[in-house]
Amino acid sequence: MEDRDETKALLSGIIYGDCAYYIALAGMVVSLVGIIIYFFGVNQYFDANVMINHLMAGEDADTIWKEATEGEVLYGHWYLGKMAFSDAISMLGIGICCCAAVVGAWGSVIGMILNKEKPYLFLVFALIIAVILICSAAGLISLH
Amino acid sequence: MKHFFANKKKPLKIASYILFCLLAVAASVGTLHAAGSIEPMGISPITFFILLLIGCTFIGIFAVLAGVGGGVIFTPIFMGFTPIDSYIIRSTGLFVAMAGALVAARPFLRRGIANMRLLFTGAVPYTVFAVLGALLAGYIEHAMGAGGEAFIRGALGIIVIGIGCLFIFFGGRAEYPDVEHMDNFTSKLNLPVPYFEASLGKVIHYKLTRAHWGLLLFCGVGLISGLFGLGAGWAMVPVFNMVMMAPLKVAATCSKVMISLGDTAAVWPYIVGGGMFPLFAVPSMIGLIIGTLIGARIMLKVKAGFIRWIIIVVMIGAGIRLITKAIAMM
Repeated sequence: MEDRDETKALLSGIIYGDCAYYIALAGMVVSLVGIIIYFFGVNQYFDANVMINHLMAGEDADTIWKEATEGEVLYGHWYLGKMAFSDAISMLGIGICCCAAVVGAWGSVIGMILNKEKPYLFLVFALIIAVILICSAAGLISLH
Repeated sequence: MKHFFANKKKPLKIASYILFCLLAVAASVGTLHAAGSIEPMGISPITFFILLLIGCTFIGIFAVLAGVGGGVIFTPIFMGFTPIDSYIIRSTGLFVAMAGALVAARPFLRRGIANMRLLFTGAVPYTVFAVLGALLAGYIEHAMGAGGEAFIRGALGIIVIGIGCLFIFFGGRAEYPDVEHMDNFTSKLNLPVPYFEASLGKVIHYKLTRAHWGLLLFCGVGLISGLFGLGAGWAMVPVFNMVMMAPLKVAATCSKVMISLGDTAAVWPYIVGGGMFPLFAVPSMIGLIIGTLIGARIMLKVKAGFIRWIIIVVMIGAGIRLITKAIAMM
């Protein structure tokens, strides 16, 4: 029984798994809702036909942006400023999904600290990953 | 707090599955409803959405039956057999690999099979190099033009053929590798954490070795994953299992969690760089997840050994196609 106790899941792992799972699911639902609204033709930022034609013609992302929108290429978290558009809502869902591991990693770090999980070397590793993830999600690690 | 997270929320889980399926059906119905109002110039958005959804569902089913992640098949197939720009495919490939791993990782972490020490140690080089790979992909896309596109396709073609060969020649993995000698570096890291193996009804204690080689290999795996938009389970599991000698179950579960971490870091530079389009990404993601769920159920009922060979043939075919495309572009 004592042997079995040492195999109990770590709090940091449970927090990461739960945060990642539920936030990813929430993101998927939001992205689906956005796509459904998009297909009903409500406030489309990207012209669906133009976009698909250019996509299937092998055009690069910048060209698709220029042709399928108002001619501008929006880098960064463009969808946050265009929330009236259905495809921006869908993109927000994708963004939420991509934030799941970021929240999970920070939750895991907090769990390690609260639970005083030793050795502390792994807390340092988790912290490094959490910092990289949040910098990446914030757009700080980017060519744009 | 631990008790709160440890509580099973089965009704919530079932409700989330039902909601997900309902929304998927609603999306399909919505597309059909909207069909009358859209005048297609080439392929219509409806056809595009449904074809992508069905195609990715099949990719998801075959991937599970072959014992690989959907992300590793998605990118080569789309890059080899569709005209879509590789930057957009790689961006979406990373996203679908990440989304699948995020959803799949939870039960392994709850049961304590995934070793948090091992995966955080491996995730540091993997994440750093996955981000570097994603940045390199952005640089190649914007600075090298057609030459860069040819390089990406050609290099991916060679890698995909390599993965196919890896499946053929190194398919047999040890479930519980025997470690005779632990090196100093690995033993100082103190990585092993025992886990309860329900099928055997006992706690598995294991040893690890060659952690320095493992960390070095994860740098390369991360770079490939970030640069080519591939899921990395095909490489991570052998590194954990055959190099570091982790039990197969630990290797497989740790790789899932590591993919969710590393690919998240790598996907953001693609998103920020304007390479993600919801109309392409959402049906791909839904299709692969639905396919994975269906595949997992089919797997319980059928012998799927031959599927593995189909996947190998498809991978090698996609690799050859990518190389010929690259030569044609040069």
